[in-house]
Amino acid sequence: MLNILKKLYILAFMALTIFFMIIIWKVTFAQIIEEYHTRQEAIEFAKIKQQQKPEKEKTAFEKLVLEGDEKVKLYLGYRVLEETRIKGHFHHIGFDIGPDKRSYCNTCHGDMPHDDVKELRAFLNMHAFFIACQTCHVKLEGSKKTGIYKWYDRTTGEIVDSPVKKYRPGTYKAKIVPFESVNGKLVRLDSQENSEFVQEFREKEKTLTEVQRSRAKKMIHEIVSKQPVICENCHQKEAPLLPLADLGYPKERIDAITSTEVVGMIKNYTQFYMPRMLHPGEGSKKD
Amino acid sequence: MLKKSINKNVPAFTLFLTLVFSLLPASISFAADVGNCLLCHKYPGLSRVDEKGKLRLLFINEDIFNTSVHAKVKCEGCHTDIQKIPHDPAKKVDCLSECHITEPSTEQKFSHKDVETSIVNSVHSKVDKNGVEKKFSEDIPTCKECHDEPLYRPMSFFKTIRSGISEEAMSRCKSCHKKDDFIFRFYSHVTSRLHRTKNPLNIAEMCGRCHDNAELVARHKLSTRAAFSYGETFHGKAARFLDERIPDCLDCHINKGESVHQILSSTDPKASINENNRGKICATTDCHPQASPRLAKYSVHAEFNLEQSPVQYFFTFFFIVLTGGTLLPLMGIIFLDLLRRLFPNAVIKRRK
Repeated sequence: MLNILKKLYILAFMALTIFFMIIIWKVTFAQIIEEYHTRQEAIEFAKIKQQQKPEKEKTAFEKLVLEGDEKVKLYLGYRVLEETRIKGHFHHIGFDIGPDKRSYCNTCHGDMPHDDVKELRAFLNMHAFFIACQTCHVKLEGSKKTGIYKWYDRTTGEIVDSPVKKYRPGTYKAKIVPFESVNGKLVRLDSQENSEFVQEFREKEKTLTEVQRSRAKKMIHEIVSKQPVICENCHQKEAPLLPLADLGYPKERIDAITSTEVVGMIKNYTQFYMPRMLHPGEGSKKD
Repeated sequence: MLKKSINKNVPAFTLFLTLVFSLLPASISFAADVGNCLLCHKYPGLSRVDEKGKLRLLFINEDIFNTSVHAKVKCEGCHTDIQKIPHDPAKKVDCLSECHITEPSTEQKFSHKDVETSIVNSVHSKVDKNGVEKKFSEDIPTCKECHDEPLYRPMSFFKTIRSGISEEAMSRCKSCHKKDDFIFRFYSHVTSRLHRTKNPLNIAEMCGRCHDNAELVARHKLSTRAAFSYGETFHGKAARFLDERIPDCLDCHINKGESVHQILSSTDPKASINENNRGKICATTDCHPQASPRLAKYSVHAEFNLEQSPVQYFFTFFFIVLTGGTLLPLMGIIFLDLLRRLFPNAVIKRRK
């Protein structure tokens, strides 16, 4: 027994010796080798420059999307502020909510899907941050209409309790999704079945013919209503579309959402911009 | 001493500060938002991608903004074109515009106009001394390339030096001054100004955004990736450990008492890093007061690069070979010794 322990002890030391050898190699000779390769690359690069071969241009995607932002830590002494730094953005964001991983609409339309009406797109994107697309773009009618809406987690997609009381307005890590009635059962509109259909379409898109692609898109957008829900449908005291109390909004928040301040603002927008909002596409033509 | 005092009682201190800062914004009114801009701009989703594909995030994080130096400034103080709600797309903010508050010592409207003068006289000017636009002037940084919203970094000097607000000091302020908002801002402003509003690591990162960009370095024929090579020095390594006492880029590249915006080229006779002035950099009272001027003659921005710094390269090469050449065989011998102990009777039979 003692002999086995002694052997194990020696083996552990041997492993430790190898570990140290690797570290020593990395901080010594590996550095020299790395520097040599860097220098060779620089020489190659200089040769290419001399031969005036055009440098490979970065794609628009690399320029606009990949180079867009970086994670930074600001050391303030009493706290460390960790956030995404967006190039050219002055104000601090202070947190990172992350993309909506459940929404199948976002796979094509992105997390900021509204861009047609210049004056309203930011407002609409703000709502899209905590309201699923189907909430406004699908109008259920007849037996399918349930009037039931619930919160789902942006990351896991699971139905969760209302986050309204825990977070500041609009900073929820959850979104509101409507439910429809299918054969008497409650089914969320962004069902797994729909999600899988869109995922398969995305995978096979390039191999499809024009007709097949068109048919698939029609099927995906089949439930989308021609006219979306408009602001006043929710921002009103009488009968707001969303059951705000059931969604966990406290009375003071409901009052704020349906307040004269907000409703008055919407009226101003209606006067100036809303007609264009109701006819998507016209805004961009005018710009 | 500063570092020691910061590390002392960290958990209790952090808890205290968390409480103070979590309570402060609630107790301090958002004086600047008289236009109720946060009615919309408090929502993080208020955003769009513009025609050029650039993300326009219109969200204002109220908690963070309240701890910034601009918290007292009304939104329209900077966004001067916004006069009504709903407003049209806002124009680009001109940081040099006369704005918002009255500068108490002159009782004139405050402006960052003087910064422009410093920049024009600096190496970061878009034009040369003859007023001709420099080559690659588009690379020259604008305000927002270096500055995001400056946040207060208050310090306590009550009995000890540590970061954050001192409750004792605040209570002394309260004996004369009644408004919490005023006390918080005045205290934060003064104590933040007694040291840097960014720590050395953040300053190096800020400069590195341009000065470590290989393309930009090559285009402007700069001799080094400045922040990277700073990171290789003792100062840079201490910065990585968040040491506040060590010098950062600004300490060496700016003449004492001058604006941080007035960084001069090393060829400029007035520059702190000019060959004739360099000796004074290290020997300041705050750094190495007894140091010989020769201390500043070492290559601060030397990289392990044969072409850029051949002398340092061969010295480093020698010590790397010495270290590796000594320790690796030593480890090899220890390994073989352990192997013998593991198999004491093992022999390699030779063919007869």
